[in-house]
Amino acid sequence: MSIEVSGTVISIVGHAAVEDAEPLLAALHEDSSRTVDLHQAVRLHTALVRLLLALRPRIVGVPTDPFFATYLLPLLDRDRGSA
Amino acid sequence: MDELLEQFLIEGRELVLQGQADLIILLGDPGNAGAIDSAFRAIHTLKGSVGIFDMAPAERVLHAAETLLESARKAPAGISPGDVPRLVASLDQVDRWIDAMEASGSLGSGADAIAARLLDQQAETSPRAEALDPDPCSPDWAITLADREAAALANATGALVAFRYAPDSDAFFRGDDPLALIATVPGLIALAVLPAHGAWPDLATIDPFSCGMVIEGVAAAPLAALQPIFRLVPDQVAFHALEARGAPVREHSAPSSGATFLRVDAARLDALADGVGELAVAANAFSDIAHRAERIDPALALVIRAAQGDLDRAVGVVHRAVSAVRLVPLGPALARLPRLVREIAVNLGKQVAFTLSGDQIEVDKQIADGLFEPLLHLVRNALDHGIEAPETRAASGKSSEGALSLRISREGDDVLVTLADDGAGIDPTRIKALAVTRGLIDAEAAAQLADGAALRLIFAPGFSTAAQISDVSGRGVGMDAVQSAVDRLRGRIDIESQVGLGTSFRLRLPANALTTRLLVIDVGRDRYAVPFDQIAETARVEAERLVPLGTGIACVLRDRTVPVLSLAELLGGEESGLDPARLLVTRASGEPVALRVDHFSHRIDAMVRAPTGLLAGVPSIAGTALLGDGGILLVLNLPELVA
Repeated sequence: MSIEVSGTVISIVGHAAVEDAEPLLAALHEDSSRTVDLHQAVRLHTALVRLLLALRPRIVGVPTDPFFATYLLPLLDRDRGSA
Repeated sequence: MDELLEQFLIEGRELVLQGQADLIILLGDPGNAGAIDSAFRAIHTLKGSVGIFDMAPAERVLHAAETLLESARKAPAGISPGDVPRLVASLDQVDRWIDAMEASGSLGSGADAIAARLLDQQAETSPRAEALDPDPCSPDWAITLADREAAALANATGALVAFRYAPDSDAFFRGDDPLALIATVPGLIALAVLPAHGAWPDLATIDPFSCGMVIEGVAAAPLAALQPIFRLVPDQVAFHALEARGAPVREHSAPSSGATFLRVDAARLDALADGVGELAVAANAFSDIAHRAERIDPALALVIRAAQGDLDRAVGVVHRAVSAVRLVPLGPALARLPRLVREIAVNLGKQVAFTLSGDQIEVDKQIADGLFEPLLHLVRNALDHGIEAPETRAASGKSSEGALSLRISREGDDVLVTLADDGAGIDPTRIKALAVTRGLIDAEAAAQLADGAALRLIFAPGFSTAAQISDVSGRGVGMDAVQSAVDRLRGRIDIESQVGLGTSFRLRLPANALTTRLLVIDVGRDRYAVPFDQIAETARVEAERLVPLGTGIACVLRDRTVPVLSLAELLGGEESGLDPARLLVTRASGEPVALRVDHFSHRIDAMVRAPTGLLAGVPSIAGTALLGDGGILLVLNLPELVA
């Protein structure tokens, strides 16, 4: 389990696998204003990236995976607030 | 990990990158002798490094590549264009094998078969890859993509391939991770992840296990290097050759992706962070401009706001990137702590088991540097006043060995540092009594104080007195030193304590700290800023309470006579003498000194730049801060000013 919820913060820790998509969605269902903290994340499965792209929660931190930092984070930034 | 392997992982990847950069040049310019030489050297060196490890298939593939490049060096026309994509594929495979070495220490099964296939392809002379012409009848998706990624394409050189990968909606069920696949695309210069059906589903309807996306991108790599990546999903992917619109191929223009490590002087990073902070402040000015423009030309204001939004996002990206570079693990900063705990415990005749966890968590360098001192103070306090002597512990039914734990964790943008002991705890009643004795509060206030607030009294200046100074936690500074150190880091301390069971101190600190909290004050006609950490308190008193004392003026604050100086006069101006007087209490050599100012304005968080030029020689100026409207504030250094 790589999803940890603490108050208004959802932390994704380590390698998040496809099965982590459901708890992430559940946590955002409970409170869609929660912040997603990626500081301790290493890599995210596509399913989680899709949820972040579609639901656009506030994101803090950058996962270790350089691919995420270089290519995916700008997409999440560009999309944020434009809809 | 084996040090030799660790070194190889870094160097091997750099060599792969160098080789790929040269091959990309050769794709556009097969006769480029410099690139052939450079690729040959990279592959030759790589083959030598690979030979040290159990990577025989990689060695065979590299040997064949080296032979091919060797003959190309001698050929007047350079390399045969059909050979380059196969060399690229070979290097990509070696790169994947380097990843496998890192992950599992071996190339994995099937390496021999992969090597054999690559060698077969290299043995063939005619090009295998389907030729893709950058034709005028591009599919719609490629046209849209080229428009969207125009900026990235403008800077690209050499052969470009656009790809569109639309995974099946049940891709996740089959175990696919489409973006993980994309992460292996060489020379990726643009990427977009789009909803499959025009718009993303919303929170209420989204199915977490449905894939429903299209991934489009552009790679500065030959088609032959891309096709193997998508070999398991050929029906879901489309390719299209694009023309690079950019400048002619420059020699050795390395692709930007890939792991190259630099050692950078920390001072340069600080300068970079300074610059980003100022950029952010400068960008703030737009907000004001848009506001003003609104009254004159609402349409123009809208455009300014849109530009401001873009600028803010760009600044945000740079800010995060710089912040990430400044992050260091706490481990090294705390490395001395376990040894110091052992030493202090022995000095005090106590037995303690110390545990440290979460020290791999990364925080801003400034926080890592500033955390040790207050933490050591808290540790000393816990060992001295928290954990009891072994015989006392045994008598109360505890293990004679005390437990002291330091836990570090992240919570959003904050880092939490919790120091917990299983000692005697702090008795709020006793703390209140001591505070009354020491004149910090009166008996009536003490009686009304909640237990939690009473515990905080231990951080009050003047609470720790000689009576309780022992060898270890004394040294003339009380727990107020901890408080001010944590304030300097813009953090907060919470205490929880249960009598007989133990105490835990929880420090909440920002993980990224690049700005300083300032109080803006008015003195005469001028504005200044004062760092919050230099302000002990602010007070508003009737002017009649300022009484002459000796050659100066004094005021009684909290039952204590405090000298009052006029900030205006200290700065060479004239005291305006407003009533009531506003006093800013700071400390000079540990003693409170009040400074009279005209107004307290507002708080700001700003970058404080070290003073330069003429100001550099003025010790009472801590630096300058740039404001959102472009104005500059002088930041005063109060202890120097009153010294």
